[in-house]
Amino acid sequence: MSEAIVRVRDLVKHFGAGESLVRAVDGVSIDVEAGELVLIMGPSGSGKTTLLTMVGGLLRPTSGSIEIRGREITRMSPGELTEVRRHLVGFIFQSFNLWESLSVIENVELALNVAGVTGEEAKSRARRLLEERGLGPRVRFRCRDLSGGEKQRLSIARALANDPLLLLADEPTANLDSRHGREVMRLLRDIAKSGERAAIVVSHDQRIREVADRVLWLEDGRFTDMGKLVRDPVCGMSLEESAAATLRHGERIYYFCSQGCLREFQESPASYVAPSPVG
Amino acid sequence: MVPVARRNLFAEKGRFAISICGVAFAVLLVLVVLALYRGFSRTGETFELLPGSLWIAQTGTTDPFHSESLVQAADIESARDVAGVAAVVPVLVRQMAFSVEDHDLSARLMALDVPAGLPVDDKIRARYLPERGVLVIDRILADKEGLREGDIARLGAVQLRIGKVQPRSAEAFEPFAFLSYEDARRVFGLEDIVNFGMVMLLPGAAVAAALEARLPGTQVFTRLEFATAIRKEIDESFLPIIGILVAIGFTVGAAVVGLTIYTATIERSREFGVMKAVGASAVFLYRIVASQSAMLTSAGFLLGLVAALVVARLAREAVPDFATEFRSLDIAGVLVGTVVMAFAASLIPVRRINAIDPALVFRA
Repeated sequence: MSEAIVRVRDLVKHFGAGESLVRAVDGVSIDVEAGELVLIMGPSGSGKTTLLTMVGGLLRPTSGSIEIRGREITRMSPGELTEVRRHLVGFIFQSFNLWESLSVIENVELALNVAGVTGEEAKSRARRLLEERGLGPRVRFRCRDLSGGEKQRLSIARALANDPLLLLADEPTANLDSRHGREVMRLLRDIAKSGERAAIVVSHDQRIREVADRVLWLEDGRFTDMGKLVRDPVCGMSLEESAAATLRHGERIYYFCSQGCLREFQESPASYVAPSPVG
Repeated sequence: MVPVARRNLFAEKGRFAISICGVAFAVLLVLVVLALYRGFSRTGETFELLPGSLWIAQTGTTDPFHSESLVQAADIESARDVAGVAAVVPVLVRQMAFSVEDHDLSARLMALDVPAGLPVDDKIRARYLPERGVLVIDRILADKEGLREGDIARLGAVQLRIGKVQPRSAEAFEPFAFLSYEDARRVFGLEDIVNFGMVMLLPGAAVAAALEARLPGTQVFTRLEFATAIRKEIDESFLPIIGILVAIGFTVGAAVVGLTIYTATIERSREFGVMKAVGASAVFLYRIVASQSAMLTSAGFLLGLVAALVVARLAREAVPDFATEFRSLDIAGVLVGTVVMAFAASLIPVRRINAIDPALVFRA
């Protein structure tokens, strides 16, 4: 068995206090090994992004521990956490978060500059990362001139700039059409499989399940057993069958995340594509 | 290194240009005000350019501009006998109204009775020692009053022809006109009284105390003391105003730079957040803000410097007594001021960056 890149134990994050206390993450434990791509799914507000920000060293937990390659990060100083983010973690965001005033190659170069790699070395490394992701002909383009898929590939190239052990992706396919979404999924799979790194992806996108080594379900801040997943035909959200509102329409049963979606469906059932149960 | 600061600034070219103009305006204001002060501070330079080392005046005289000095001509004559004195030149000077071609004006009329045989430089002679019947003025007075060589000036019953107009002097604040000693006696109606005695000394002589002992009722000024006494008035009335204007200039500049950088920082909060998220150190981020600030202020400084030189030149053509003098030390001082301004202007944006939570990058 290969060594865990990330080891999370009894992780808790509470916001507020007293009656307004929110248990965003409530006792989560997980190990992610090198070469592994873990998909975390769950309803909105279940604590997925909070978990991701804590593992990435951007948010301090209320309690529990997070180790990245054996280094406990929850008690690190802000400066040490910056070091961890610089060298051990790469981030991929739903809305890309590119530096819009910079060119494609400069977006990757800057990430290298942050880690102290400058000049020709930074340029050639950035170019290579972009070429590997099919962005060679676009290196001089402005970010705003790229398609959504290209932006996400650039975002991935930037995340890999400093050769991190851990990739954290937050809804990486949410803003992409089907074709570009699949491209990004393949990229993430290849990245996880090709080296000594792991990837944790938070997503509602069922398609990512195809490439994930493990799928975890987070609900109310806790990992729960993966029940049968169904899809809300109105909002597209994946949810557990047992927690969904249901409606029989014609020969089929439809599942909804909320009464609002159910009502919308009732008003115009023909508008929605027939759901396909998953899981 | 990726030029993030430059890219950020150039991403909003319109705002960048306006901000540079704002800084340039502040620099222009400060430089022109300082140059005006320097120009007016040269008032009284005539007394330094004349060959006399000492000036004999009536006791109680504060300076040649603001108090009258009346000394017996015979006393001035007797000063020649003091050991170490090479020559004594009686001087008549008086602020007076006169007319030129039906145009009324006033100037400080001055005349020196240089003894025959005293060697005098040609430039001094041309500028300060006209022949009888000639009035010498400089370019400032000529342009201000529209006077030309050959015009006739009427000083009471005496008519004088304006001679060759001399280059601009330092006396923009109180313009001088020079006439011959004989003409001055007729114009002023003085016989045995002079205003000052200009003393030329033998090399190495120190005779001020001996002169005062020899001539009761007089006091002796060095030429520097004389000029300084005149400038004291200017310093006391101008300096506080100059100080306030300079402070306003720098405040305006700092506000423009500060607002620009602050706005650019706020607009790019998310991008700075992403930099923090991917591991940019505080120093790395401060360097971006400081570079933006430095680029803005240096461009503004250069534009302001050029604008100040152009404005001063244009203003001098429109207003002849707009006397400016740009000193390299002042320019260097303003440059240092703009550096301080740039630093001060980046403090608030830096605080803003400190407050950016890198976790915000996960909010869609």
